[in-house]
Amino acid sequence: MTDNIDNPLGNIFITHRAIATIAAQTALTSYGVVGFTSRDFLRGIMNLVVRDQAYGVEIVVNGDQIGIDIYIVIEYGVRITEVASSVASSIKFTVEKYTGLTVDRVDVHIRGLRISNMD
Amino acid sequence: MSEIIAHEHYPSTSINDSNQTLNGLGFKNLILAGLTWLKTNQQIVNSLNVFPVPDGDTGTNMVLTMQAAYEEIEESEENNIGKVAHAVAQGALMGARGNSGVILSQLWRGFARGLDNQDAMDAPSFARALEEAKNTAYKGVVKPVKGTILTVAKDISISAHESLERTKAIDVMLETIVAAADKSVSHTPELLPILKQAGVVDSGGKGLYFILDGMLRYIKGMNMDVPEASIQLISTLNLENTKEMIEPGQDYEIILDFSPISSLDMDSFYSDLGEIGTSIQIGEGEGFYRLHIHVPKENKNRPIEYVEKIGTVFSEKTENLMAQMEQRKKKPDEEVIFNPVEAGMIGLIAVSPGLGFDRIFASLDVNAVVKGGQTMNPSTEEILQAVDSLPTDRIIILPNNKNIILAAQTAATVSTKKIAVVPTRSVPQGLAATLKMNPSGDFDAIYSEMCDALNEVETGEITQATRSVEVNGVDVKEGEVIALHNGNLVYSSDNPEDACLGLLGKIDLKDHERITLFWGATLEKDEVDKIASLIQEKYPSYAIEIHEGGQPHYQLILSIE
Repeated sequence: MTDNIDNPLGNIFITHRAIATIAAQTALTSYGVVGFTSRDFLRGIMNLVVRDQAYGVEIVVNGDQIGIDIYIVIEYGVRITEVASSVASSIKFTVEKYTGLTVDRVDVHIRGLRISNMD
Repeated sequence: MSEIIAHEHYPSTSINDSNQTLNGLGFKNLILAGLTWLKTNQQIVNSLNVFPVPDGDTGTNMVLTMQAAYEEIEESEENNIGKVAHAVAQGALMGARGNSGVILSQLWRGFARGLDNQDAMDAPSFARALEEAKNTAYKGVVKPVKGTILTVAKDISISAHESLERTKAIDVMLETIVAAADKSVSHTPELLPILKQAGVVDSGGKGLYFILDGMLRYIKGMNMDVPEASIQLISTLNLENTKEMIEPGQDYEIILDFSPISSLDMDSFYSDLGEIGTSIQIGEGEGFYRLHIHVPKENKNRPIEYVEKIGTVFSEKTENLMAQMEQRKKKPDEEVIFNPVEAGMIGLIAVSPGLGFDRIFASLDVNAVVKGGQTMNPSTEEILQAVDSLPTDRIIILPNNKNIILAAQTAATVSTKKIAVVPTRSVPQGLAATLKMNPSGDFDAIYSEMCDALNEVETGEITQATRSVEVNGVDVKEGEVIALHNGNLVYSSDNPEDACLGLLGKIDLKDHERITLFWGATLEKDEVDKIASLIQEKYPSYAIEIHEGGQPHYQLILSIE
């Protein structure tokens, strides 16, 4: 469950969980995202917003490429496609910046809408 | 002025007590003004974009969002400000682009909610609407980052409430909040370190400032054509992109390095230069400035004359843009080179309606094309000439139009060579058939594979109706844009964007994965890009490609594979 980067002095291991945390933090500061659900669909229904954010993120590593799945709840009334693509590009940018690895895929799963205001 | 604010005269003093209200039509003008000024300064906003992702599109996204908002009310004569504001919010929501556009749409949504059931807006309701705008926008994010457009929206709301104590005049309040927005934007680097590192202010906040400032400028009758004075570092000047969009009056590009005698007054510098030319950019280097400007021919010497009045010019570079453009334009007319066919191999001839398709066919190893298409059917003679020009005696012809199939078949019977005509009724079918080509393969097998390929592709065509008609239950008026699916009229509209989406709505896309747009001679590339992005939005799981077809009559030909 770790990602290995060659380094002249030894190896650097980045756990999936660390990457998931970066992705989750980025998503939380991204406009329109108000929470996470569990990637496990049943658990997600029972417990709409999960406490540990990293549960809403799934990391798949293939060589030096990272694939990310993120399961989120967004605010009702925003343009969903735009929010999703902003989240995806922010996550790709931030994870690549912090880890030096390449993110080749970010799939954003919108699992619910939170309604604060009905128009 | 009376259009904007419901009283006759703009007050000359900065503070007055008259009880002003703003109605729906006045608000509409202000929205247009905000959009206009934002658009003028779009590149400045783009250049500031470093957060959250430095992709330099904040200005563009905000302009597109505001444009969608304005389009929603453009035709409306509604004078109830609550209704107009809701329409603006709706337009902004539907047209929201990017992060900044989404936030902007939420600001408008809240603003509209603050004006619910109001015919007109006075100063207190303006302040309330701004507060509601801020509240609604903040609900969309769990951890708001300080130093962004949200911070600016918050500062605007606070200053609106403060100014209520001093004034009941909307224009005065607007003046106050524009000043507050400006101050808030300048403060953003202190709140968000990444901005400070990059030496910029927040782009979304700056965009919001431009929208409000545009409204104020409109009320004051100020110019909105010249971007706000700004100085960047020379290293950040992006002069390459400016050449991509050359408009009339931009015959020459002039770059001057100079040092002014006394410190530069940017406002007057920009407005004086604005009289001379466009695309003005100023960069600051070690002890000197670099000016970039595009001017029409008759003003060729004026920038240097002007700059010499205020300082010393070290170097001047002039480029004749028109001449460069002419040269560039010539290139596409270069002859398309087709792959030669060897004797004994199978030759392939396609009928092509435009230069773009000529190139595409050439790239797919078609050996010759015959010019032709809708309303310009080639004669049997022309097809025979192409047949004779190929040094082989086995040839397949793709007519690519139902009216040309017969001429091609006639050519096949007249010629002494062995010729097969694949009955392609459209260019997309022709392209699908071309992909089955193998010059050294078995003639009959390839022919039958090509015929089978025709069913793998759906053809869409977007064109102008030449007369009013009703077909298949679709009512079409002369001049309207119509959409054809495999040659049958399925949809009509007043614009090609909608026609495209309408067309795709009529086609069963289930077993397809790629939509290719070939744009015709009557359409501009950026219109096509816009249409493509609309399609991509609506059909995110499909691959969208665009190619220049160059065909006349048809704005677009769509191939759905």
